[in-house]
Amino acid sequence: MASVDVRQVRKVYKRDAEEIVVLNGIDLQVPDGEFVALMGPSGSGKTTLLNLVAGIDRATSGSITVGQTNVTSLSEGELARWRSRNVGFIFQFYNLIPVLSAVENVELPLLLTSLSRSQRRERALTALKVVGLADRAKHYPRQLSGGQEQRVAIARAIVTDPSVIVADEPTGDLDAKSAEDILNLLDLLNREFKKTIVMVTHDPRAAGRAHVERHLEKGQLASSIVRREVTA
Amino acid sequence: MKFLPYVLKHLRRSWVRTLSTIVGMALCIFLICVLQTVLDAIRKTTEAADPSRVVTRHAVSLTFNMPLAYKPRIQGLAGVKRVAVSNWFGGVYRDMKDFFPNFAVESEDYFPMYPEYVVPPADYAAYLADMQGALVGRDVATKYGFKVGDSFQMESFIPPYRVSGPLKFNVRGIYDAPPGRKSSVNVGMMFFHYKYLYESVRGRRGVGSYAGAGTFSIQVSDPARANAVMKAIDTNFENSDVQTKTETEGAFLAGFIALTGNLVGLLNGVGLAVGFTILLVTANTMSMAVRERRTEIAVLKTLGFPSALVMGLILGEAFAIATASGVIGVVMARLAVGNLANLPFMGLLLGNFPALEVSPTVGLLTLSLAVVLGTGAGFVPALGAYRSRITEALRSI
Ligand SMILES: Nc1ncnc2c1ncn2[C@@H]1O[C@H](COP(=O)(O)OP(=O)(O)O)[C@@H](O)[C@H]1O
Ligand SMILES: [Mg+2]
Repeated sequence: MASVDVRQVRKVYKRDAEEIVVLNGIDLQVPDGEFVALMGPSGSGKTTLLNLVAGIDRATSGSITVGQTNVTSLSEGELARWRSRNVGFIFQFYNLIPVLSAVENVELPLLLTSLSRSQRRERALTALKVVGLADRAKHYPRQLSGGQEQRVAIARAIVTDPSVIVADEPTGDLDAKSAEDILNLLDLLNREFKKTIVMVTHDPRAAGRAHVERHLEKGQLASSIVRREVTA
Repeated sequence: MKFLPYVLKHLRRSWVRTLSTIVGMALCIFLICVLQTVLDAIRKTTEAADPSRVVTRHAVSLTFNMPLAYKPRIQGLAGVKRVAVSNWFGGVYRDMKDFFPNFAVESEDYFPMYPEYVVPPADYAAYLADMQGALVGRDVATKYGFKVGDSFQMESFIPPYRVSGPLKFNVRGIYDAPPGRKSSVNVGMMFFHYKYLYESVRGRRGVGSYAGAGTFSIQVSDPARANAVMKAIDTNFENSDVQTKTETEGAFLAGFIALTGNLVGLLNGVGLAVGFTILLVTANTMSMAVRERRTEIAVLKTLGFPSALVMGLILGEAFAIATASGVIGVVMARLAVGNLANLPFMGLLLGNFPALEVSPTVGLLTLSLAVVLGTGAGFVPALGAYRSRITEALRSI
């Protein structure tokens, strides 16, 4: 069963009279539990595609199904609700809320649930434990290194236990060592927690950690698919 | 409620901005509250005035006196029940900063018209019997520790009344407001016999060796016909050397308090301008907050926060600022107004009000004004946050 099913998706931006075709007939199937790396030159539409899959942008045409849900048919409000339960987001620049401590940042998505205060706190701490930052729970983003911030962001992405995680250049702003940590974490989430991961990256080493590499060029996915043996 | 920490943490993070906004807005609210309290007091005084009483004064200015001979001529007009001379003495007790209004009145005619000054009958009789007798208001008695039987001195700051030097007075009674009328009856004044003033001035050399009539307090037999009587009085003196101006007591008091009729308009205008300032100050703070948080707002939406909730959080911040400012402003106004009369010279300006205080109505109204204006000002930036598109906000980093 495909966890992510993108069919004949087009994304066109209109600027004045001019039409910019960013995605032109994309077909992409990501099975459950897969770890896919999306590669391609800058401006090729990687972020656009990822945003469509994650339901924070709308396709001009075509359909996208994630899990059992046809996200292209959801209203704005339904999409927001759906995102809060089914998708975890990891950004290049971490995007933590600066005024909130690490644990409060992780707790943020849980505010939309009916969990009690103590249950929320407990889950947030558990997620922080998974990324190895339980001892930094009270720290604020500015007191953390880039790598640590990204790990807090990962904790925030998994705290609602979504089935799909999307990551847009998660190592793009990190040094080699921190990038390695982040990739190890994604690997762990994929293997241990069975998360389906779609990761956009420039970095061939990052892409090398995924099971599948897809290349996007001029709004279309290259037919060549790089597959790797999954080491158990 | 679980979002409250989020709102508060933002306010605390940019505390300089939060604080300066709150201080600025609280000052505005303070001003509005004080202005409204003064307006309220003017209105109450006017409303509390007895419609059967009118006041006649010199047509040119209150500072000129009228001939005493006018009294019988007014008395003789149809519809006039009582006439009493009442002069603003301008006596200073101890020091200018201790000023309270004091009047020389023809007691036998004056007090029957003013049943709201309540004096024990025995004290009142003693007052009538003592040429140097004085009736002081409860507030004056409390503030300066006057008891029945005490004596004190006062000297006017009006030159014609100074010719005999300070006058000696004996406290013969302390007057109170009737129950339930504390906020409309001024118990911060003092009265004494006009004949005492008249005698002390008469025969002295120098300017004004004769105390005329500052005002005539007049009671009409039928309040419904007060207008006709007022007109009759002024017409009567139209061709005399000294023309008169007769007004209802309410109009006279309001004019006296407000100095010019424009004060009310001015105060309202100031209030409006200040209210507008609140709108600008909060709108500015909130749009700054939203602008610098573009990405953060997009992140919240990405995590699944509904747009309405994001908007609510912004409005919540505006609301918190507005409420804090409102409460601080009103409390400051309460404290300030309560202590206003104790400030030097304020007795001279405010002595004609019944005890001034921020009424619950004025306080609540100003507070709601703060909340409505402040939160309203946050509306446009909050709407911007509501409408912002995730992808565009994230792209711009
Ligand atoms: N809102 C927009 N309006 C117009 N063009 C856009 C908009 N968003 C993205 N694009 C264009 O779409 C193309 C793909 O962008 P993006 O998906 O961010 O590429 P990538 O992530 O691969 O670098 C770029 O040429 C970009 O300029
Ligand atoms: Mg990109």
